[in-house]
Amino acid sequence: MNKPNLPDEIDVRKKDYSFRADMKVNGWMLVALIISSASDVFFPDQIKAWPPACRTIIAVAPFLFILLWVRALTRWSRGMDELHRRITLSAIMFAVSATFFVVALWHVLAKVGIWRSGFLGVFDPNSVWVILSVMTASYFHGHRIFNRRYQ
Amino acid sequence: MKNRLRELRTAREWSQSDLAEKLGVSRQTVNAIETERYDPSLPLAFKAARLFRLPIEEIFAGE
Repeated sequence: MNKPNLPDEIDVRKKDYSFRADMKVNGWMLVALIISSASDVFFPDQIKAWPPACRTIIAVAPFLFILLWVRALTRWSRGMDELHRRITLSAIMFAVSATFFVVALWHVLAKVGIWRSGFLGVFDPNSVWVILSVMTASYFHGHRIFNRRYQ
Repeated sequence: MKNRLRELRTAREWSQSDLAEKLGVSRQTVNAIETERYDPSLPLAFKAARLFRLPIEEIFAGE
């Protein structure tokens, strides 16, 4: 019988953590994160002088890698047993909802002038890397909540 | 859902990991079923029934 995939394989704090498994699942997300953060954090001013085609490629590239990431995530969750698949899907739903909530709240507060959209000039909720970071943090938080029920 | 999984497993001197491997699930899943925190799906319940060579209703009982 094949060993089922475990959520702990991609959690760096757990003893079952496997760098190989993590990269297999989240490698494409890391690429999207690097491209997005590089264009936002490391050279936000220079990029504005680049040709439109180049800027378009950089802006769209993370989304292509996000699609590949979703595909890898789906395949990985299919290899889990039923309990872990249930926990993981609940955690993913929690992460997506929490991210939507945070980004929407941020925009509403920015709109009424309470919060600046580009907090400290870096944490812009429009950036893919900020959205992915919030999503990753809320996934692990959600996973801990849903996993507790079955321990 | 009440079940006799722990009783059947210990009678065969299997660890939770052994049973998990035979059923193709994780040890946490076996533990969650044994402690009645998680109700298995029908395919998994049938798999357990086949493994122990017992009718499904002799392993799992409704509330």
